[in-house]
Amino acid sequence: MTALFRMFLASQVTRARLLGLGSLGLLSVLLGLALGAGDGGDPATEATELVAAFGLSLFVPVTCLVFASAVLGEPHEDATLVYLWLRPVARWRLVAAAAAAALAVSLPVVVVPLALAAAVAGAGADLVLATVASCSVATVAYTGVFIWLGLRVRRALVWGLAYILVWEGFVARAGGTASLLAIRPHTRSLLAHLAGGSGELIEVSAATGVVLPLVAAALALALAVRRLTRQEVA
Amino acid sequence: MSDARILDRGYRRYEGPRRGVAGAVGSLARHSALRALGLRRSFWAKLLPLASVGIAYVPALVFVGIAALLPDQLRQGSDLLPSYAGYYGFITAAIVLFVALVGPEVLCPDRRHRMLGLYLASPLTRDTYLVAKVLAVVPVLALVTLGPPLLLLVGLTFADAGPDSPGAFAADLVRIIVGGLVISAAYTAVSLAVASFTDRRPVASAGVILVLLVSSVATVALVAGGASERLFLLNLGAVPFELVQRIYGERGEMDVATVELVLANLAWTLGAAALLRGRYQRLRVAR
Amino acid sequence: MIELDHVSKWFGGVVAVSDVSFSVGPGVTALLGPNGAGKSTVIRLVCGLTLPSQGRISVLGRQPRRHLDLFGHIGLVPQQEALFESMTAGAFVTLAAELHSLDAPGSAARAALGAVDLDAGDTRALAEYSKGMRQRVKVAQALVHDPPLLVLDEPLDGLDPRQRLTLIALFRRLGSEGRGVLVSSHVLDEVERFGSRVLVMAQGRLAAEGDFHAIRTLMDNRPHRLRLRTDRPRRLGAALLETGTVVGLAVGGGDQLVVDTLDVAGFRRAVAPAARTADARLLELVPLDDDLESVFRYLVGPDPSPTR
Repeated sequence: MTALFRMFLASQVTRARLLGLGSLGLLSVLLGLALGAGDGGDPATEATELVAAFGLSLFVPVTCLVFASAVLGEPHEDATLVYLWLRPVARWRLVAAAAAAALAVSLPVVVVPLALAAAVAGAGADLVLATVASCSVATVAYTGVFIWLGLRVRRALVWGLAYILVWEGFVARAGGTASLLAIRPHTRSLLAHLAGGSGELIEVSAATGVVLPLVAAALALALAVRRLTRQEVA
Repeated sequence: MSDARILDRGYRRYEGPRRGVAGAVGSLARHSALRALGLRRSFWAKLLPLASVGIAYVPALVFVGIAALLPDQLRQGSDLLPSYAGYYGFITAAIVLFVALVGPEVLCPDRRHRMLGLYLASPLTRDTYLVAKVLAVVPVLALVTLGPPLLLLVGLTFADAGPDSPGAFAADLVRIIVGGLVISAAYTAVSLAVASFTDRRPVASAGVILVLLVSSVATVALVAGGASERLFLLNLGAVPFELVQRIYGERGEMDVATVELVLANLAWTLGAAALLRGRYQRLRVAR
Repeated sequence: MIELDHVSKWFGGVVAVSDVSFSVGPGVTALLGPNGAGKSTVIRLVCGLTLPSQGRISVLGRQPRRHLDLFGHIGLVPQQEALFESMTAGAFVTLAAELHSLDAPGSAARAALGAVDLDAGDTRALAEYSKGMRQRVKVAQALVHDPPLLVLDEPLDGLDPRQRLTLIALFRRLGSEGRGVLVSSHVLDEVERFGSRVLVMAQGRLAAEGDFHAIRTLMDNRPHRLRLRTDRPRRLGAALLETGTVVGLAVGGGDQLVVDTLDVAGFRRAVAPAARTADARLLELVPLDDDLESVFRYLVGPDPSPTR
């Protein structure tokens, strides 16, 4: 599995991706600095909103989408998956190695700059810890879901963007059942709880805000294993 | 005299009329527009673009339904119906998604599949090629920027909840067309400019969404933190919509002068167009 | 080693493989057919990359897909060109060796790359390799774990003549070692050098299997064409017509005579007495369509039988 992990990791880390997503991370730090230096509003509230609106709603899902949808999705689309699939390697090991590689890239790319942004925004240690926790949970959840998506559809990046934009950005914001079926409301609620605020769209406990997204990730990865076992390979 | 004849000589030159550059531009524009909507292709190619278009019209249908079913409440001055400018607030996500799909779809495959060289071997130059692409994208985007408020206007008029007079109808119609084209032109330029940086459609789509959303979130965060409201002029996700509100004589959330808004929108549109042209002038087209 | 029993595969409304049954044992077997005949689908079915819509497949006594460890005994050279472009050849083949849990993946990779004339220490990424080099890397990753069954889909594509000869010699050696080698190819004159056992597919069906010389003999609706060189072509031609073994005859330029016969054995018995009768010296007798290309063309081309 180490060989697979190394291979997946190397295939994910391209200069274009790191530059593009690194720029977003840098932007989040700059925004944090600007908030910390500014004199409008309550720093804690503004910084929490920055982490929620920029981090959890945009930066984290898009980063995970870019890496996770490609880790198995690209080999599936360009037919190189056969070089991994036609080996005596259990399918769950393939998916686990892919998930580990995607997380190994995504977590530092999103958590470090967002935590830094929360720190320099002057909102206190609570927000920094809340940022680390909620962004980590969000990264795991989105990674699981987008790995499955990468295997399930062609052009997973576009479908993932539609999910982020339309489902999470529009439909799930209406609240109710739709909110329960999206990752973002849970992670934003978790952030709000841990940062000392109240829940946002849905009233869930901090534990639920951790458990449900992780369950979603596990379910998605299980579906990915099943898909890999049953699908036609190039 | 023998009645033998050869019917198939293989390659023959075309001797009929030639439509020239205008014909080439028109053909390419038409082909690109059809491609952007996924028409004449598989079901999956149509699904996302047409779903985005559909989502943009749903609120209009709902509001027309409300006007038809609840005329009394409307006469009593209830604010159940949004203004034409305010309608865009309901469909921003659909517009952004559609914009992110259309630009990359018309530009990226030509480079990825090395068709661009073939196009440039025709009467098309790099500039007329881009003109054709712009002529394809603007009307396609107008499906979501102009069509839904137009449907709202027509539907409300038929439901007796529209403008009071033909003059008011004409005025609203002109505002809808101008407003729709302003948004369409701005996002055509931005979408194509971003798509000129990569030949991979999904990456270009992600780039368009990021440009729109990041500029939006970043400027909102900065202004909320105390920075100048003029920073909103960098909010690509909101500037065209704010300008449309000014066209209707309304004001949105941006506390900036209308002149500055017009200039900012123009700068984004022309700047993105210049970037697009610059990329394509420098592009190396070879097999 | 491979058994297909009434296997069919369809994709939606398209039947790619229709009721195909054959078995492949040790040695080299060539899978031939025009584009769209179903060869690649058969290869994918054998390797378990897709499931049959109908019928049974058995590879080394087991069903592909059901037994993951079976993949450790198959080496596949797929048709598609894409590789892990950012990797070096050495890293790519070493990865394959590691996925097969080989004890010394590095040296196995070096040996496999050496067998196809590539340098395992080359630091260039696969994206920079020529088509022929990429093809050889594909062969190396299929060989690295020393599988008893090799399945190759167009392995000679993009190779220059010298490289082709090297690989053909390699496949023949592997076949002679008792491995099963199933090769799909369009390059008929080189497939003849693999050996004579062929599976010919056309329009999703198996058109013929076995030794292609024997297949040719079985084609009794196609006259065999032979060329004779003689000092008296017209007199010999007339004498051969009298024997009743010839259905067509053409006197070519100079000393050549081309005959069509439905009974090769009978013709061969009759040609010497006919030459004696015509007082003609027989200089050469050469079959013109006993080669693989002719067999292939007859099998997948239109039926020449006259309509009644």
